[in-house]
Amino acid sequence: MKILVADDSRAMRMIVTRTLRQAGFAGHDIIEAENGKEALETVVRQSIDLILSDWNMPEMTGIEFLRALRAKGVKTPFCFVTSEGSEEMREQAQAAGAVGLIAKPFTPEAFVDILSPVVTA
Amino acid sequence: MSAIDEFEAAREDLEALLIEVLGTVAGEEAMPVWDDVLPPGPVVSSRLAIHDEDDDSYTMVSIRTSSIVARVLASRMLLTPDPGPDDLLDAVGELGNIAGGNVKSLLRHSCRLSLPTAEVTENDGAAHGDSGVTVRASVLGQVVELTVDVAGDFSALYWPGSAPAPDALGSRP
Repeated sequence: MKILVADDSRAMRMIVTRTLRQAGFAGHDIIEAENGKEALETVVRQSIDLILSDWNMPEMTGIEFLRALRAKGVKTPFCFVTSEGSEEMREQAQAAGAVGLIAKPFTPEAFVDILSPVVTA
Repeated sequence: MSAIDEFEAAREDLEALLIEVLGTVAGEEAMPVWDDVLPPGPVVSSRLAIHDEDDDSYTMVSIRTSSIVARVLASRMLLTPDPGPDDLLDAVGELGNIAGGNVKSLLRHSCRLSLPTAEVTENDGAAHGDSGVTVRASVLGQVVELTVDVAGDFSALYWPGSAPAPDALGSRP
């Protein structure tokens, strides 16, 4: 699978990638983007199987990125990995078409719980 | 109840939040401390704001720690034995981002969260965050401070979706 990790922090992109492996989802191609705009351009350019995206990013937020994708008819599974895990944000994420929201700080178990239906181990 | 009274009432929750965030991000046990303060010397700090658009009020959330903790955090987060100055800012900026997001979930649900900014300053030993509520934890034998306040310089902060990409991590939003 090709997995796109979008986060404005390089450290967090590395942690997300590492946690994927720790969750048992190793061996996938990881592609990185620094913000929603760059992530959207990446998805337009190439086929992506799963998107893990921060919510608060410069240029284009995660929710703007997701809504832009769905407006283009792109149905790629999309999961937020963000520092805000309120019920309100989870509802917004679900309404926009996300498969879930993983709140930081997270554990590999959280990745397993939410991503197992959409990622092959 | 004033905002500061509200923060004070949430002190125990803020301490628990700091312990959990540090424990998970640093991969080390963190303990609450009450009397310890940051020693004089280089301090890496990050700050962000939570904006309530209903009453146009701001809550400032900041994290401060020694360069020693910042270096260990950066080394572990980025898997590099010798993190550079930008790596320290990225690591502490992300620590502040996680703490800020959790403070928002705890105290300011329907508000807007800014992006974090991080910097290295020299701690002169003066008290910090006197007008707000500061909680402290010890990790790796060093103090980490989390301050929630209504005062601060909000003008220099970046907001999601509207900010230009930073030219360097030193100005990382």
